[in-house]
Amino acid sequence: MNPAQFDKILRQVLTLPILVLLAAAGALLLAIQSTNTTVRQIQQADASITQAMLVEKLIVDEESGLRGFQTTGDPRFLQPYQESQAALDQQLSRLGSLLADFPADHHDLESLHSAQEAWRVGFAIPVIATVQAGGDASDIPLNLLGKVRIDAIRAAIDTIIRDSESRRASRIAYWSRQVHATFIALLVFSVVTGLLIGLFMRKRLHEVSQSYTRAQAVLRTRADQLFASEQSLRTTLSSICDGVIATDTEGHVGMMNEVSQQLTGWSQEDAHGLPIETVFRLLNRNTRQPVEDPATTVQRLNCVVHQSQDVLLLNRDGSERLIDNNASPIRNQSGDMTGVVTVFRDITTERQTQAALLANEKLAATGRLAATIAHEIHNPLDAVANLLFLMESGSTPEETHQFLGMAQQELTRVTQISRAMLGLYREASAPVSIEIHEMLASLLLLMQGRFNLLHVHVTEDVSPGLHIEGFPAELRQVFTNLISNAAEAATGQEKACVHLSAQPQPAEPLPDGHLQEEGVIITVADNGCGIPTHQLDQLFRPFFTTKGENGTGLGLWVSQGIIRKHGGTIDIQSSTAEQTHGTRVSVFLATKPHIHLGGD
Amino acid sequence: MPNRARLILCVDDEVVGLQVRKILLERAGYQVLTALDGRSGLEVFANEPIQAVILDYSMPGMNGGEVANRMRQTKPEIPILLLSANIALPAEITAMVDLYMTKGEGAPVLLRNLDSLLPASISLYP
Repeated sequence: MNPAQFDKILRQVLTLPILVLLAAAGALLLAIQSTNTTVRQIQQADASITQAMLVEKLIVDEESGLRGFQTTGDPRFLQPYQESQAALDQQLSRLGSLLADFPADHHDLESLHSAQEAWRVGFAIPVIATVQAGGDASDIPLNLLGKVRIDAIRAAIDTIIRDSESRRASRIAYWSRQVHATFIALLVFSVVTGLLIGLFMRKRLHEVSQSYTRAQAVLRTRADQLFASEQSLRTTLSSICDGVIATDTEGHVGMMNEVSQQLTGWSQEDAHGLPIETVFRLLNRNTRQPVEDPATTVQRLNCVVHQSQDVLLLNRDGSERLIDNNASPIRNQSGDMTGVVTVFRDITTERQTQAALLANEKLAATGRLAATIAHEIHNPLDAVANLLFLMESGSTPEETHQFLGMAQQELTRVTQISRAMLGLYREASAPVSIEIHEMLASLLLLMQGRFNLLHVHVTEDVSPGLHIEGFPAELRQVFTNLISNAAEAATGQEKACVHLSAQPQPAEPLPDGHLQEEGVIITVADNGCGIPTHQLDQLFRPFFTTKGENGTGLGLWVSQGIIRKHGGTIDIQSSTAEQTHGTRVSVFLATKPHIHLGGD
Repeated sequence: MPNRARLILCVDDEVVGLQVRKILLERAGYQVLTALDGRSGLEVFANEPIQAVILDYSMPGMNGGEVANRMRQTKPEIPILLLSANIALPAEITAMVDLYMTKGEGAPVLLRNLDSLLPASISLYP
């Protein structure tokens, strides 16, 4: 379950009960309003009853006052009659307004009104007039009429009161039913919504709970994986053949793996917290001067640092090992450096092996050269031997002269080859001046037989007079290697050819601010099938060969070493395209190079 | 004995070596035709009643192995002696010819070997 789903459930769980309660409150409000209306109607009925009773009381007062006056003739008894008479109209009209909604009561009210009017006009006024005139008002028919009129008034009021009471009773019953119904509805609503909300919550909470359980399981798995990964990392670090030292930003040693402990002679416990330069002591092999440890360089430059040239690691016991090392910044997620990891390996044996391989390739090159020379010398020697055989078995003086001439010619060839060979093997102890054309021409002469064998046409465009300084034998080895590689690559093509060229490279400033040294660029190009791109960067590795069993895989590796020793560069471009296939090797050699004697 | 002399074809790109070999073989009683490369050698081989071939291996254009292969396809009965300055030729090349020898083994060895390839041969040199 993702946070959005969880939020949705939270919203649902919160809003649903609120909405339901709001609906319930609305319904309850309506019910209360309706009940209130009923209560108001009950109150109205009460008011009607009270008003009717008040009217009844006024009429009784009126009648009582009239009776007193009738009996005594004293006008003071008329006071209640007059007061009631005065108030009665107002009270009757109030009663009328209270009963306005009920047409039946209206009729009763009108009856009351007319009965009262009839009593007053037909009885009260004549009695008062009679008494005031000093007459006798105890006339029985008159009083009977008065009684009949009063009874009619009472009957009308009783009807009004009875109707109002009956209305009141029915409204009270209605109110009671309303309250009861509201109560039942509330009860049912509460139970149903309670159940629904409960079910809804149960479902949602079940989902959340399941999600929580799943999340816990995932967390547990992650924790297990993390633990396993950490263990695996630890095992890997302790198993790899490279030494690994991690330092903090202050350059204090933190973690050291097994190999680094062996190579430095410091145990993890002893080294922990010490400055890296105490534990990881480096010297330059040639100058014996201390070398800045790479972790410090990384701190200073804030980038990856690689040292591979002549760096000796001084063990705690005083022994020394040649090492190759890399140091990289350790960065946190925001990219800040939190430490440095130094990875190094012992290359003492590797360097010894490289030296042995170099010697081996020199031996193999010598062997190949010997075979070439033997082939070249065999041909003229065979002719000379045959000529000697002919002279030995008898020949005329003319023939002898001819044979000697031919033998001389063949021996001259042998001498030429032998001279070329001497030049090849006479190694100078210091760099000497080399004329490029002369060097390449003598190589081509020696290799002509091989070109014939491979059916390769070799052309050259090397102008005389280009000089460089270097070790001739070594450079011959390089170009023999490059030219025979080219010939072997070209052989088999329809018009197999190899082209040699050399151009002077003047000194000039480069775009990157460095100065391009003055020198010569020698190019060996063939029209062979080309080298696939994925093999190009492997060409200079020892034991990499494209020639199967016919190559040692050391030629280019050694050649590169020699070129580097001469401060030069070697670059290979190749195409396997149908139209432009072929390989082009360019070697730059400086006119006045800085020879790196430790180079090979 | 011009009629009985056997016709030998020598193919080699070494001008002097070829010339000397021709004199040597003629003295030994053979009739010798020469060619300086494989292509012209094959032409002579096709047009003349050659009885044996002495073939160099390293030649421009077409090497001895290829020449021998083509000769075998047209006249398989003609013996071929492969002669090379190369010390070690691949076995598949040497298997294609009747005899393989290196230059420098000397004229008597060459004559003896050639002789052994020709039936009922007569040699002037013992």
